[in-house]
Amino acid sequence: MLESIVHVCLAGLSGGMFIWLVASGLTLIFGVLGVLNFAHGSFYMLGAYLCFSVLRALGQNFWWGLLLGPLVVAAVGYLVERFFLRRVYGLELPYQLLLTFAFVLLFDDLVKILWGAGSLGAPGAPGLTDSVPILGRQFPVYNLFVIAVGPLVAVGLWALLEKTWAGRIIRASSSDREMASALGVKVPALFTAVFVFGSWLGALGGGLAVPYLGLLTPGMGEQVIIEAFVVAVIGGLGSLKGAFLGALLIGLLSAFGTRFLPAFDMFLTFILMAGVLLWRPQGFFGEKR
Amino acid sequence: MQNRQAYLAAAALLVGLALLGLWGERFLLYLAMRVMILAIFALGFDLLFGRTGLLSFGHGAFYAGGAYGTALCYLHLSKDPLLCLLAGLLLATALALIVGFFCVRHTEIYFAMLTLAFGMMIFSLVWNLREITGGDDGLVGISRQAINLGLAKLPLRKEGQFYFLVLSCFGLVLYAVHRIRSSPFGLILAGIRENHLRAEFAGANIKNYRLAAFVISGFLAGLAGGLGVLLESNAAPFAAHWSHSSEPVLVSLIGGLNTLAGPLVGSFVFIVLKEVVMRVTPYWMLWFGVVLLVILLGFRGGVVGTLAQALGRGAKEARS
Amino acid sequence: MSAPLMEVRGLSKAFGKVVTARNIDLAFQAGELTSIIGPNGAGKSTFINMMSGSLAVDAGAILFLGRDVTRLPIHERVGLGLCRSFQVVNVFPGLTVFENVEIPVLVAAKRATRFFAPRAREAQAHEAVREVLERVGLAARAEVKASELSHGDQRLLEVAVALAARPKLLFLDEPTAGMNPVERVEILKHIRRLNQEGGTTFIIVEHDMDIVFSLSDRVVVLHRGDVICDGPPAHVQCDPQVRECYLGEEVA
Repeated sequence: MLESIVHVCLAGLSGGMFIWLVASGLTLIFGVLGVLNFAHGSFYMLGAYLCFSVLRALGQNFWWGLLLGPLVVAAVGYLVERFFLRRVYGLELPYQLLLTFAFVLLFDDLVKILWGAGSLGAPGAPGLTDSVPILGRQFPVYNLFVIAVGPLVAVGLWALLEKTWAGRIIRASSSDREMASALGVKVPALFTAVFVFGSWLGALGGGLAVPYLGLLTPGMGEQVIIEAFVVAVIGGLGSLKGAFLGALLIGLLSAFGTRFLPAFDMFLTFILMAGVLLWRPQGFFGEKR
Repeated sequence: MQNRQAYLAAAALLVGLALLGLWGERFLLYLAMRVMILAIFALGFDLLFGRTGLLSFGHGAFYAGGAYGTALCYLHLSKDPLLCLLAGLLLATALALIVGFFCVRHTEIYFAMLTLAFGMMIFSLVWNLREITGGDDGLVGISRQAINLGLAKLPLRKEGQFYFLVLSCFGLVLYAVHRIRSSPFGLILAGIRENHLRAEFAGANIKNYRLAAFVISGFLAGLAGGLGVLLESNAAPFAAHWSHSSEPVLVSLIGGLNTLAGPLVGSFVFIVLKEVVMRVTPYWMLWFGVVLLVILLGFRGGVVGTLAQALGRGAKEARS
Repeated sequence: MSAPLMEVRGLSKAFGKVVTARNIDLAFQAGELTSIIGPNGAGKSTFINMMSGSLAVDAGAILFLGRDVTRLPIHERVGLGLCRSFQVVNVFPGLTVFENVEIPVLVAAKRATRFFAPRAREAQAHEAVREVLERVGLAARAEVKASELSHGDQRLLEVAVALAARPKLLFLDEPTAGMNPVERVEILKHIRRLNQEGGTTFIIVEHDMDIVFSLSDRVVVLHRGDVICDGPPAHVQCDPQVRECYLGEEVA
């Protein structure tokens, strides 16, 4: 029983870390731009597919894919923000939401066109393909690696936001856009930068998911974006700390749910989301808006 | 004057559709029914989105409520199509009442997220309660029995027969939504969209108005779902999924928000585009994405709004 | 003296350590045009927000027509005849002037929940709308979209929307904010006249002293959550405490 629980926890932690990587970019973009980006799941998917293509082109080396794939997605993010999203900032919220939704439709089919509608099998990450015994049961090393990467990204983000000049500007702009602009911050450029960075984070999550999932399917972005929404809402829209803890919570909840209550695993997730929205709409760590 | 033109246009549309029902071939009728069913869904949805300003991502759940209510009634209670539809409407409306009660406490992004959460809750139930809903297989084998009128029986089995039931529902809904839009209640809804604080200080209990709009739109989603089951002879779980909830959003937007004609035009364009594009390429979503982008960036009035604007400009120029 | 239209007893509110209302007792008589003034941060907005129901009180009671309304939601206060306007223009921008006024009229006449009857047949309500528009002088612009009105006209429209609910007491929050001098004189004349025509008693919350003294029957001065002076304009003008705290800051 104990080892079973430990393994469920480990599975929950690694699952949660993927959601965190996606939710972090989503949260960052919402915090600064005020846009809830439906297409963020598509960036995750594109990250995975591009990582896959690069690794295949460069002799099956996953690490090259992980390095280059997300960079390409960041460039895609640049195009999306610079030429589309920027033109709807002044409009009401549904228009912004729907614009990003248009990209979900676009990227979903684009992936099918470029990579085919079927699933693709992906190789593992060199050096991390083994399993180690934990409490008498095998656990993949790569999943441990992911459990380590998540907090590293969190610390990196924290350092970036709290300790650097760029981070100060980002924080200032997310709390008071007009003030930031009055202080000489070039808000449009900042928005682009944050969006590109956020896209890169989402794609990084996708790239890391390649060896974990071992399988790429064109719908993988939609599943993840909804989970990321749940996490972002539970933690508090715009709060990175909230997104991190929310991702852990949802990761664990869903791992335990799958193990002990398979029929209600999804139901639990969404009832938690609705509950938080009703009783504490700003989430556990968000500020009242 | 304008009103009379609109009535004439609506009458012409309904007569045209009736004639189509008499002489159209089967596939055409099938498509026309899909357009009308989607239009019923979108007419209700636009009352909430275009008119009241609340964007829901959970209305697929009420569509599914209507669909599964109808199918379950058929499989377990009665095969009378009207009774089945009624069961579907009851289930959809009850769901909308419960979900709406919670959701109207919020607006904007929180409302959208809350409807998404509730919608997905319902989807997960549909997906997982296999014994009742058939899980991923859905409920199949629902055929259209005749409507029993006591003295006579109205058969619905053929497309050409069922078509007139759909057409009647469509006509009734069109009329009802028109009445609602031009009623005092309809004006208050527009006021809530424009400025909900002001509406509150005008003395309106805006939560109740929002809830009413929510339930009406849920009811119509349920009607669309019930008719959809009778048309396709099965209920599928993905009707409840959030991606299905986005359909009426797209339709309203393509046709034009907060107009009566918008959802009709939008449904027509949506179904026709889908059918046409699907014949050429399987990637119809790509083209929808492009259409959506074009509308959002250039023609936010949708087809109807853009046309009205162009006509208005034309009329002005003609006068000057 | 007759029973007051509105009365507050022991009203208190604090945001953390900042006290914006400290045990305030006030009574307002029907027909008496009262102004509430005070420097920035005096607690004027807090006061108006608590009166209208946008903000919950920490302690104290609000009585309107002898009835305790302290915990009543906004729309029910409006139903009783207690309404307000806002500092920033607050109309229904996408609707016509006529429709703007029609909304509160329909609600007040309890006809707003009719969802299947054509609005066009609400003759009585439409008569009332025209009457309100006449009173504020916007009748000629009835079919214009509110967002296309000039700023001054939008403020007038806002007063019209508030009046349309037939309030017995109407709080106006800085009714002249953002107006040019001509518009300012214009709207003040309207307010003075509307108050005299009866039916509605106005309470104006203002920052600008000149407006207040030329217009009001009574002036209440708030300072950091306290009422420091209360009386006719001439009395308040001479009060040393007012001059010190208020004028002093104004000059600086």
